[in-house]
Amino acid sequence: MDFIQTTLSSFLSLIPVTLAQSLILGFVVAGIMIPFRMLSFPDLTSEGAFPLGGCVCGVAMAAGFSPLIAIALALATGFVAGCSTAFIHLRFRIHTLLAGILVMTMLYSINLRIMGRSNLSVFGSTTVFDWVPFAQPGFPVAKIVAAGFLTLVVFALLNFFFKTEKGTAVRAVGSNPVMAEAQGINVWAATIGGIGLAGAFSALSGALMVQSQGFADVNMGLGILINGLAALMIGEAIVGKEKVWRQLLAPFVGAIVYYQLVSLCLAAGMPPPDLKLATGLFVLIMLALPSLRGSRRAAGPKESFRE
Amino acid sequence: MLEIRAARKIFYKGQPDEKIALNGLNLKLGNGDFAVVIGSNGAGKSSMLNAISGALKLDSGNIVINGDDITEKPVHKRAVHIARVFQDPMLGTASSMTVAENMLLAELRGKPHTLRPGLNARRLSDYRERLAMLGLGLEDRLNTRVDLLSGGQRQSLSLVMAVGGSPDLLLLDEHTAALDPRTAEIVMNATVRAVDALKLTTLMVTHNMQHAVDYGNRVVMLDAGQVRLEIGGEEKSRVTVPDLIGHFSTKTDRMMLAS
Repeated sequence: MDFIQTTLSSFLSLIPVTLAQSLILGFVVAGIMIPFRMLSFPDLTSEGAFPLGGCVCGVAMAAGFSPLIAIALALATGFVAGCSTAFIHLRFRIHTLLAGILVMTMLYSINLRIMGRSNLSVFGSTTVFDWVPFAQPGFPVAKIVAAGFLTLVVFALLNFFFKTEKGTAVRAVGSNPVMAEAQGINVWAATIGGIGLAGAFSALSGALMVQSQGFADVNMGLGILINGLAALMIGEAIVGKEKVWRQLLAPFVGAIVYYQLVSLCLAAGMPPPDLKLATGLFVLIMLALPSLRGSRRAAGPKESFRE
Repeated sequence: MLEIRAARKIFYKGQPDEKIALNGLNLKLGNGDFAVVIGSNGAGKSSMLNAISGALKLDSGNIVINGDDITEKPVHKRAVHIARVFQDPMLGTASSMTVAENMLLAELRGKPHTLRPGLNARRLSDYRERLAMLGLGLEDRLNTRVDLLSGGQRQSLSLVMAVGGSPDLLLLDEHTAALDPRTAEIVMNATVRAVDALKLTTLMVTHNMQHAVDYGNRVVMLDAGQVRLEIGGEEKSRVTVPDLIGHFSTKTDRMMLAS
């Protein structure tokens, strides 16, 4: 009884902080979803683009730039990182996963070069969270309002874009590249642009995280990919993915639910080092579920991805 | 109008398994021509079609459509002129997207894609009307994902998508070969109706000799990467299946086709 009570009270007290964190991390989950689901391009760039955004934002803020400029710079570098992965895959016919690993690995050195050291404090610099009216700066409420507002804007923009003529063409490239090309769609442009957009979202998430926590660290992206995938799976299980708007909403909902679950596990006394194992097992189970369920019948259609 | 001039393509050049796919092939189609292409396996039918669509780059030679030399253009730039229906019903449509979205992609073939919303009421009613002509009930399934349709329905959809917008050249790559006989007939009839009504310049590859006799105003027989025989005009209307089979080069081919 006592255990439940202490667990619950510490979980409840953590809800606002966790919510702020999960709204910020929702963008990196979107940056994982777009390549994976919209372009059938399994991509690992986010693991490098997330800290890249953080490092660029940190350095810009330390140099005295406004937090918005810092975020814009992070977006631009993240976009370039995503484009690089897509280009390496298309031009040299390297598997998407390997292309992602290459870019992610190279970004580690680049991130260190950008910052000049392994971490950088930007404590005391103005952040976008200071601009939220009627909220005390530095408290979770300001972060929830700012990140929540940005989430709504980004979701609305994505939902609009993927239903335009251009957005439909990008989705066609993910669904059937041969057919898309035959319909006059430039597969290279759509892929590079789409993966670039995803990289920009991952970097945005890193930049917001740095403004939220007050420091940048080259290791801040460690494991973000598998956490993001877990969040995406949860989101898709809750809101579905049959319609475009559901697929686009899934990463944001998934991030919110996933990080509350993590917080609950920690409140219940799970040692933090075990967290990655638990997350990995969770993703494995979610991915394995369809083939386990249908083991007697023929396994369902395999997800088809580009190689 | 389509013109192929001295098209040459060699696979694995300089290696022991070198294969001449197109050996100086020449072909000319006038506007409104409906040519049926036949030939045994390895005669160069697919290579010719792929060279026209851009999937295969020629070693030498030219391909010209309506005066526009497209030899060096990538696949997506040729889409202004060319619409294609593939043999595999899975290839011609985007399976995870809806019927209406697929129709939209086809409508925008070779046109710039804007940032305006794609589907609107006007387009949807236009798609409904065009799909209704097939008589397969697809007009009521505009919001159904294409992977939930049968192979015949998908192929019919591919056809409607291809003939929409009156392409300069329609490529049909054994497009009824993967269907059951009844569905194949439905798709074939719809093809002929559309080609006649829109006066489309059409190139249809087939292994079905009866189709070669029944449809089109020209028969083109390929062999070893060249045009071996061309029958058009008055002669085409009198040609029979045994006539065509008689022209096949080797005995094994004849036996296979006659069986």
